[in-house]
Amino acid sequence: MREELNRRETVVLEGHIVDSLILPKVLDLILEAGAEYEVVELDMGRTTLDPSLAHIRVFTADDDAMEALLEQLHVHGANRLHDEDASMAVADQDGVLPVGFYSTTNLPTGVRIDGVWVPVDNPEMDCAIVVGPDGARTAPMHHVRTGDKVVVGGKGVRVQPLPQAPAGSAFEFMASDVSSEKPKALLVAKVAEQMRAARQTGGRVLTVAGPAVVHTGGSRHLARLVRDGWIDVLFAGNGLATHDVESNVLGTSLGVSVAHGAPTEGGHSNHVRVINEIRRHGSIAQAVDAGYLRGGVMYECIQRDVPFVLAGSVRDDGPLPDTITDVVEAADAMRALVPGVTVALMLATTLHAIATGNMLPAGVVTFCVDINQAVVTKLADRGSHQAMGIVTDVGPFLGDLAEELGA
Amino acid sequence: MTLAWGRRFLMCPPLHFEVAYEINPWMQAEVRVDRDQAHEQWNSLVATLTEAGAEVEILEPAPDVPDLVFTANAGVVSGTRYIPSRFRHPERRLETPFHVAHFEAAGYEVTELPEGLDHEGAGDALPFAGTLISGYRWRSDIEAAAALASLTGASTRSVELVDQRLYHFDLTFCPLDDRRAICAPLGWDSYGQRVIGDLVPEPLCLENDEALLFCANSVVVDQTVVMPACPPRVGNQLEAWGFDVVVVDVSEFLKAGGGPRCLTLALDVVLGG
Repeated sequence: MREELNRRETVVLEGHIVDSLILPKVLDLILEAGAEYEVVELDMGRTTLDPSLAHIRVFTADDDAMEALLEQLHVHGANRLHDEDASMAVADQDGVLPVGFYSTTNLPTGVRIDGVWVPVDNPEMDCAIVVGPDGARTAPMHHVRTGDKVVVGGKGVRVQPLPQAPAGSAFEFMASDVSSEKPKALLVAKVAEQMRAARQTGGRVLTVAGPAVVHTGGSRHLARLVRDGWIDVLFAGNGLATHDVESNVLGTSLGVSVAHGAPTEGGHSNHVRVINEIRRHGSIAQAVDAGYLRGGVMYECIQRDVPFVLAGSVRDDGPLPDTITDVVEAADAMRALVPGVTVALMLATTLHAIATGNMLPAGVVTFCVDINQAVVTKLADRGSHQAMGIVTDVGPFLGDLAEELGA
Repeated sequence: MTLAWGRRFLMCPPLHFEVAYEINPWMQAEVRVDRDQAHEQWNSLVATLTEAGAEVEILEPAPDVPDLVFTANAGVVSGTRYIPSRFRHPERRLETPFHVAHFEAAGYEVTELPEGLDHEGAGDALPFAGTLISGYRWRSDIEAAAALASLTGASTRSVELVDQRLYHFDLTFCPLDDRRAICAPLGWDSYGQRVIGDLVPEPLCLENDEALLFCANSVVVDQTVVMPACPPRVGNQLEAWGFDVVVVDVSEFLKAGGGPRCLTLALDVVLGG
């Protein structure tokens, strides 16, 4: 299939379509229109009296081409297969979906309302589709309110697959298996290329970072990337921010000297001491204003107004006043920053990477960098098929990336 | 072997015939029909058919439905079953109640086509050697052929009509017997031409100008072919095959885009069996 043929529709053709040469004619018409097809089902009549039935998947470049072709095919009896409106049920309880609700994928989705295909805003997996006067949107279960109209069943819902990748593109690159055997320089160059492309096209780059970024000495490179405008959104947990502050205020990460790698005396309590001081200031931003925090990833985010979400967990120390401890609230805060993101870097984090992967539309180019191959595999297993894994130590990786980008 | 059907026809006297609207390229609403002349031509057609050995039954004329004379479009008949047409143009939908009333009174079992499908009866569906060939595009929907097949048990083929001047299949095809037919490839797309080519062992293919004289809109009664016009080349071939050609003047009806076949509906057709 040619990669520019993104629009897909299935038509059904029934009758004496073989003897009357209607089937070959319809297939020829599809090709003559510059479209392509795939016969997904063909039930040949056993005798000349039995009608035959064909389901043909048609691929065109866009909606206009599809509508024009379908109009042409209609004359010959080929009609759109699921040409029905979506069914809806009204939610009768806050935070509870009607039975049989349509559960979304992270692919671009359309829903047919009064004969018109309406695109669903903010594709996100494992959500419901809520239809309102302004159109259709995905809604996580807890956002649903009594009276919301929710799509039920699969009728009148269509999901568009991602475009096939042109050879040599990032998508093709991403489609390859997770491997620790690939030349790292090449991988770094590919990531940089995608970040440059995002900058050129006005897309946003999201970084999801775990505390290992600090432990491995990568935080100064990440800070450079933030400072030079390569990162537009940051998702992390209490740990990344804590150790980033710790390393910039006290020179240690979890008590270990970032510069020399040696444990420092009393260092085991360093992180709780800096958390305590940030709490005293009221927030990371206030600590920056007061001159307590003078460098690092969080400092650069504050200086450059890069929005961040610190999502808490049960094992957090402190936590930092910026950490959102209600996970549902944290997820919503993350969700609010997802629109516009075109590239995501998941850096040495498992749970935050999966949580973010669940929220991203399938079209977001996602790189998952981790020393542990299982993290990357896990992300893909949970449905974020668009994630490309890079198995490597995140610290040196960030150094190479910052270098490559001239940050 | 001669045609198994074509000895009993339904016809409607042109008492109210006129060109009152334009729904095909031949119709010009400003053209006047000479009704006396039309009557004379129609009576002469009846006499020709009768002389050739056919019976003619009468559909009562009615005002305000000028095309009621074109009985070929009343529907599809198979044995005692009658499937009324569903006309594409609203002007002709007014005819249907008259058709249905006639066939009900005559004791036919009336079966409707599924909702939403247009089909203009024998005008777009002619049996040939056990297969019902149905034209589609200008007046009939292709899906209607499948419906006719399931209602009558006939094996069907669909042929796309591509020339608006030959807007019904019966302007492009006339079965002569179970091996031969008059064919107007001008009216069909290339796939349709292949379908008919596979079905008809000995076609008499019309040149384009011959097709536009409505040579295929002829009525066959045994060995007699009743034609609106017959160029020598066509006549020679028909005579070589042993047919007698009778040319009838239907010039008044040609003003509405109809010839002898359009003015008749064969009642002795049995499909699918």
